[in-house]
Amino acid sequence: MLSLVSSSQPSATSNDEGEARSLIDAVSMCRNIAGRIGAESFSLFFTAVHGEARRLVPVFDETFPGVSPVTRRLSGPDTTDFVRLVSTTTCPLWWRGNGAPTFLDAQARVWTREVAPSLTKQSGIAFPVANDRRRLGAIIFTGNEMKLDEELLCDTHAECFDLFAQVAKLREQECNAQRPMSKRELECLRLTANGLTSDEIATALGLSVHTANQYLTNSTQKLNAMNRIHAVAKALRSGMIA
Amino acid sequence: MAYAAPIVETQDANAPVTSRTGLARFMRRICAEMGAQRYMLVQPSVERGPKSVSIITSNWVFDALEDLGSEGIARIIESGVAVSAGARARPLLAASATFLTAEERRALRDHGHIETHCRRLVADGVNVYALFSSETPGAISGAALSRAHMKCGYALVQFFAATGGRASADPLSERERECLMWVSEGKTTDEVALILGVSSNTVNSYIAHAIQKFGASNRAMAIATAIRSGII
Repeated sequence: MLSLVSSSQPSATSNDEGEARSLIDAVSMCRNIAGRIGAESFSLFFTAVHGEARRLVPVFDETFPGVSPVTRRLSGPDTTDFVRLVSTTTCPLWWRGNGAPTFLDAQARVWTREVAPSLTKQSGIAFPVANDRRRLGAIIFTGNEMKLDEELLCDTHAECFDLFAQVAKLREQECNAQRPMSKRELECLRLTANGLTSDEIATALGLSVHTANQYLTNSTQKLNAMNRIHAVAKALRSGMIA
Repeated sequence: MAYAAPIVETQDANAPVTSRTGLARFMRRICAEMGAQRYMLVQPSVERGPKSVSIITSNWVFDALEDLGSEGIARIIESGVAVSAGARARPLLAASATFLTAEERRALRDHGHIETHCRRLVADGVNVYALFSSETPGAISGAALSRAHMKCGYALVQFFAATGGRASADPLSERERECLMWVSEGKTTDEVALILGVSSNTVNSYIAHAIQKFGASNRAMAIATAIRSGII
C-alpha cells in the first residue's frame, strides 16, 4: 500500500462509533442514529437493479430479525416511482404523515426534497446511500417526533453512508465463499478495462498471449460472467479493480 | 398599502445553489466553516480521454493549476486518497505524496496546499471530487469536513439541475447508454438488438458511436469508462 497518508491524524468525524462485526451490531448502530433524530423506526435497504427496473430489498429494520409493516410497505410493489427517485438522487427525501408538522428547519429543507406523503402513515425521511463498490441503497427513518436541522441532517446522512458501507461489506464477506481472484487475473482485467488487447496485455506483463487469454478466461469463470466485457463490468462494479 | 420588498441579501445561506457564482459563494462559505483556504470541485473528464479532468469550480491560484496541470490533478483524484461520504478523514500531505513528481509536490507546498483532503462525491449519479486544502496541517476540522462533504453533494445536485451541467458529464444519447448498459450485463450484440427491438447493425453503430465519443480503443474500454464515470 502507499504510505502517503498520515494515519496518526486524529479524526473528529461523527462516525467513530466503532465497527459493525455482525448485522446485530449494525442494527444497534442504526438504532442509535434513529434515537438522535427522534425517529421511531428505521429500515435499511439495498437497491436491486435489473436492467432499468429497481426494487428496494430489505436488509433489516427495528424489529430485526423480523420485518416491520413499514419495511414491507416500502419494499412493496407500488413504490416504483419512489424507488426510482431514491436510487437516482443524492438528496434526502422526506414526507409528512397525516397532519404531522414539518420536521426539518429552513436550511435543511433547502438541501432536501419533499415527496408525496402516501408512503407511510407517519412522517419519514429517506437517505440515499452508496458504497465505493457502487452498491446503492437507502436508510429510511419514520416517526412523528423527528427533528432535524442542517447540521444534524448532514451528520446523519454521513453516518448512514458509513453504516451502509459496513453492512454492504458484511454482506460481501458472506457471499465471498467463491474462489478468490489472483493478482495476475486482476491485472489482466484492469488492463482490459484500460482498452488493451490480449496481445498488448501479454507484452505489458511479459507473458505469452495464450497465458494472458487463460488468465482472462479464468477470471471470467470465477466472476460467473458471460464474457470478457461482462467480467470487466462486474469487477469494476464490485470494486475489485478501480 | 404598497410595500416595496427590501432587497434580499444574496449571501443568504438559505438560497439554493443555482449558478456558478452561487456555487463559488457556497464553497467559500463551507471552506470558512471548516478552516480550509483552497477548494476545487473536479470531474474526471470522459470526453477528453484518460488522465484529464474538468474543473467545475476552484479558487486555486493560476500558477498552482499550471504547475500541477490536468495530469497532476487526475493523479491526485485517482491515487486512492479520495475518501467517500461518512468515512474517516485521510489527508494527503504535500510533502509525502509519492504518486506526484517532486516538482508537483513542491508546487503544492509552495502554493499553500500543505494538507489536502480529497473527497469523493456522487451528485445524482455524477462522480465529482472535492479538494480542500489548508496551509496548516490539522487545521481542517473533521466534523466540519464531513458536513461539508454532504452539503457539497446536495449543492451540486442543485447546481447540475439548474445549469444542465449533468448533460455535459454524460456525452451519450439515451440509446447509446442503454446499449452500453446491456453490454455491461454480458449481453451479446444480437441479444441487445432483441431487447431493444432494433437490428444488430443499429446496436453496433450505437456502440461504435459511444466508443468514439469516449475516445476509447474498444468496447471493453468504453464500458469501463462509462462505469467509472457513473454513466451506467
